[in-house]
Amino acid sequence: MKLNSKLRVIAAGAGLSICLTAGLQAADKFPPLAPLGDPPIPLDNRQTKAKVELGKMLFWDPRLGGDASTACVTCHEPDQGWGFSDSLSRGYPGTVHWRNSQTVINSAYLGKLFWAGAAASLEKQAPSAAKGAVAGNGENDVMETRLAFIPEYRKRFNKVFGTEWPIIADAWRAIAAFERTLIHNDTPLDRYLKGNKKALTKKQIAGMKLFSGKAGCIKCHNGALATNQKYYNLGVPPAERWNEDGLAQVTFRYEQYAKGVTQKMYRKIKDDAGLYYRTKQKRDMGKFRTPPLRYTKYTAPYMHNGAFWDLGEVVDFYNAGGGANDFTNGTMAKNKTRLLKPLGLTDKEKENLVAFLEAFSGPELKMAAPKLPPYAPLANK
Amino acid sequence: MNVSWLRGGVSRALLVTAGAYMLVIPAAAGESGFGPVKAPKFNAKKAALGKRLFFDARLSGDAAISCASCHQPGKGFTDGLALSKAYPGSKGFRNTPTLINTALRKNWFHDGRLGTNLNDVTRESLTEDYMMNMDMRLMQERVKQDPVYVKMFKDAGYGEPSNGSIRKAIPEYLKTLISRNSPFDKGTMSDSAKRGFDLFKGKAGCAACHSGPRFTDDNPHNIGVPENPEIWSDPMRHMTFAAFASFMGIENFMNLRRDVGAHVRLHKADKSDVGQFITPTLRELKQTGPYMHNGMFGTLFEVISFYNTGGGTDANKDKALKPLNLTFQEQQSLVAFLESLSGDALTSAKHVWKDKIPSNYPAIAKWRKQRN
Repeated sequence: MKLNSKLRVIAAGAGLSICLTAGLQAADKFPPLAPLGDPPIPLDNRQTKAKVELGKMLFWDPRLGGDASTACVTCHEPDQGWGFSDSLSRGYPGTVHWRNSQTVINSAYLGKLFWAGAAASLEKQAPSAAKGAVAGNGENDVMETRLAFIPEYRKRFNKVFGTEWPIIADAWRAIAAFERTLIHNDTPLDRYLKGNKKALTKKQIAGMKLFSGKAGCIKCHNGALATNQKYYNLGVPPAERWNEDGLAQVTFRYEQYAKGVTQKMYRKIKDDAGLYYRTKQKRDMGKFRTPPLRYTKYTAPYMHNGAFWDLGEVVDFYNAGGGANDFTNGTMAKNKTRLLKPLGLTDKEKENLVAFLEAFSGPELKMAAPKLPPYAPLANK
Repeated sequence: MNVSWLRGGVSRALLVTAGAYMLVIPAAAGESGFGPVKAPKFNAKKAALGKRLFFDARLSGDAAISCASCHQPGKGFTDGLALSKAYPGSKGFRNTPTLINTALRKNWFHDGRLGTNLNDVTRESLTEDYMMNMDMRLMQERVKQDPVYVKMFKDAGYGEPSNGSIRKAIPEYLKTLISRNSPFDKGTMSDSAKRGFDLFKGKAGCAACHSGPRFTDDNPHNIGVPENPEIWSDPMRHMTFAAFASFMGIENFMNLRRDVGAHVRLHKADKSDVGQFITPTLRELKQTGPYMHNGMFGTLFEVISFYNTGGGTDANKDKALKPLNLTFQEQQSLVAFLESLSGDALTSAKHVWKDKIPSNYPAIAKWRKQRN
């Protein structure tokens, strides 16, 4: 077994180098785009109607945050692509976040959450966001006790989880269950891939050929989810706000402090080191997970720091062979992925590619806010 | 010491006599050791820095409240409310204690749960979720972003701003908040107040616990103060208490309908510590009503009346409390004495940061070229 797995690693390594040298001809080495099915449901957090309904309420409830002002929905607004339409997410009052807010749509399919994969499940992502000082800034004891003073929640938690009092971990489970219902898999692309050849326009079909061929997008944006869920440094430029906004500079340093970099690195660093904060390996500096592409019509701006405001800018960026940052130019590291090369796309080709990217999005998923139940005094027993 | 004698059932008269002998030792302190509060030494630059931090709302999680939001100089560094407001989204379940003379306390908070130093008290108040809910790492980076602070920290000898030196500077400022010029200290008490002082030391027995220059033994006692019903009828107060009790490891906290007081620290198996609270100082009472750990009494006369009837009703009530049989006039004299323990309001620039403190942060110019 041991030998076997070693062989497999060697084989995978060889495969990678073949891809790199063979370049564009290698498109068929990658899992092809495919219609997106149902999301995986963890065995220890089954979907039920009551749980999803509860999770929806909690997703909107700002009492799951420090000063009862900041709910999940505050940075994941249905009207803003279930994200936040600014380069950096808004953050807790008195702060600004330091990364772009990702859409919740189709997060159910991802193996890891957050831009650098810091959370292993939706159940783990929710508390990280609710508790972080520049996100929800809540504490477990306060948030859990607040739930206990909302009779409607006591009733619902009891029905769903069987506990006398709401338990905060169950709140995250309910929210995760709700998020697993936010599925976007009826896009023009899905219909096309299922056999409806009229689902895409001619331009989009031309764009799809570029996607899997000359433009090489398929190297990372592959499979049913259009992401290999791996981490790359593309040379996305650092967030402009860090140059000009004191509040953003505060958060930038706070993140270095909170994520535990060395003193030496804290002094020097001027950009988001991404995967490095998890692994502390220099080779991971500036790497972020390939994002899925469905629903992107509604989720501008793009990239981990919202550097690009429309899909045309994103395509231009790749056409130029990516960009440069402190983790590509040697200031901190030289980690730019070798997958990126200038593509030499014509204006027409870029147009077709953007048209194809739009085929990853169907109708907007709108949702009205649920009515939130009030606090009530706790009667003596 | 006094406490164990009380428990031993020694009569109050004997106790007061014994207490007087003990307290007489520092002769310079004046009659019965009740002399003026000795001002601690402090570093002026560090204290000035601590003063600005104390009044800066950017030291709370959502930048909405500062230390001074609840500890207001014009109200003797309290908020004048029965129960404090707490951090937005929570509501307090205790009365805000004065910070005047706090540097001389032996322990802090009404339950005495911190017995170390003001550095720890500052940390607790900044970070506790229902107080200022501040992540100190973020606090440090906020302070570093303000050029005024960068200079003040350097000038004070702290070097670059850090969360550690913030927790040193604020206590340095607190050392400056010392009672001054009370009629008691100046020797200008009214005749009624003088009679009250005699009762205080004698018939009324107050001095058994309210001893020393700050008029407190810094020990926990149960005097049977009635529960403040608002804690249990207002879900936001109740939930704040419940979250606190859960954090402090109090069992069955969801079914509690009383503030357990010192039990959060002592955790006595027989629960004899439930309902004990630290004896408060009697300095500056004119500025710091309402009174008791839960603000149940609005006036000093109510407080005296409460003691005159032997305190409240509680299974754990201190046995030293008995009805005092004070006349109306005697009660008034005691109030007059208590009022004579209040001095100058600490509201001048010496104790209050009067300049505007910005709520935002200037950008660091040429940020990419500057070391963090």
